[in-house]
Amino acid sequence: MFVVLCVVLMVVDARFEALKTVRSQMGLVLTPFYLVGEMPGRIWRMATEQIASSNSLMAENEKLKAEALLMQRRLQRLAMLTEQNVRLRELLNSAALVDDKVIVSELIGLDPNPFTHRILIDKGEKDGVFMGQPVLDASGLMGQVVEVLPYAARVLLLTDVTHSIPVQVNRNGLRAIAVGTGNPDYLELRHVAETADVKAGDLLVSSGLGQRFPSGYPVAQVTEVVHGSGQPFAIVRAVPTAMLNRSRYLMLVFSDSRTPEERAAAAAEAQADADQKAASEGTGVTTPPAGAEVDDAGQSPAAAPQAPTSEVVQ
Amino acid sequence: MISGRSNNGWVIWFSLTVALLLSVAPMPGNAELARPLWLGLVIAFWSLSLPHRGGLGAAFCFGLAQDVLAGTLFGQSALPLILIAFLVLSLQQRLRMFPLWQQSMVLLVILGLAQLVQLWLNTLTGNRPPTLLFLVPVPVSALLWPWVFVALQGLRQRFAVY
Repeated sequence: MFVVLCVVLMVVDARFEALKTVRSQMGLVLTPFYLVGEMPGRIWRMATEQIASSNSLMAENEKLKAEALLMQRRLQRLAMLTEQNVRLRELLNSAALVDDKVIVSELIGLDPNPFTHRILIDKGEKDGVFMGQPVLDASGLMGQVVEVLPYAARVLLLTDVTHSIPVQVNRNGLRAIAVGTGNPDYLELRHVAETADVKAGDLLVSSGLGQRFPSGYPVAQVTEVVHGSGQPFAIVRAVPTAMLNRSRYLMLVFSDSRTPEERAAAAAEAQADADQKAASEGTGVTTPPAGAEVDDAGQSPAAAPQAPTSEVVQ
Repeated sequence: MISGRSNNGWVIWFSLTVALLLSVAPMPGNAELARPLWLGLVIAFWSLSLPHRGGLGAAFCFGLAQDVLAGTLFGQSALPLILIAFLVLSLQQRLRMFPLWQQSMVLLVILGLAQLVQLWLNTLTGNRPPTLLFLVPVPVSALLWPWVFVALQGLRQRFAVY
């Protein structure tokens, strides 16, 4: 009897949406299991942090300060570049590239099945997480949300066998599809012609063609291209740039859901505002502070219609 | 648990909950491959020592719980668990007479069958493990059986669960 019940449940769960609410209710009760299971590790980490000598803490502090300085310098340049980018895009009459909104979340568990590459994160439906949402870490794309529970979500990593993502080679815009191999160390590009211009060392960025991932985020770096192996296509392997099995803090991206026309209008408006501001301020357009200001003005209209969160980082 | 006069049933539920917890506890690197089938072992113990307390129902409930935790389809890990409970229940009269090592031999087979059913279901849902490594938990669990048995037996006698 139970066996029949099991089979029926499986079919219903696979084909219909009816069990989604049951699952999310059970998830509400069961999510703490991951937290409890992780408790020893967490306590251990806290203890080591407590005991860490002030020496190493000072060293780390120093390092972080240096890093922050470096980042600030790059940010200043970025502000200028963004402004320039908006202006050029307006000239081209195309959609503006607006910064996406992200929230930060923490890893709380790994999938107990060692053959799937999925992780559990501590943000869920209550934080505005949705199915198919892209997930990043500091260095690149990690994967997408495949299951949303009230206070947690499950993320399918790029390297899972069932995952693939449209990418393009950053150097020349060549498009391809990167599929997971089940091996955490590399992805493979499918159906790349023998004569295609792909070299080891090329950076692959998301192309945004699947309408799921935002375009332009780094995905992987090509490590190996095998030609003439007797196969119809070249074998291309690439290492994900995101640290899939090391990152503890992940970012969930809320992409801009507006149409290109709306975005172009918003960008034009922002540009007009910025121009006015620059004009009223005088001639200091090229200095970094003014650039930063323009940048802010360009982003604020874009930020309005997105999901409400407390920990918004732009 | 469908018993008229149940006593200390919470011990059973508690041990099953701990098993569920252990089945999602993080494990270092490759040890993940050899994660023992904790729920299977505990279910097998309770079906073996208290067959009248309805191991099948518990197997079903905790199987569903594990499905939610692992994000698989409802029933995907409940079915192997039910299989374990069913096989142990039907062999119960003989199994209880066996010495521990012989019990763990039989469990090796039963857990192996459960793992194969699991493989079959995984393949149906489209993620087939690439190697035979998915069988590693079976011998590991079988080796753990004597310890699990002794520990749970102690627990059962301490709290007089009948």
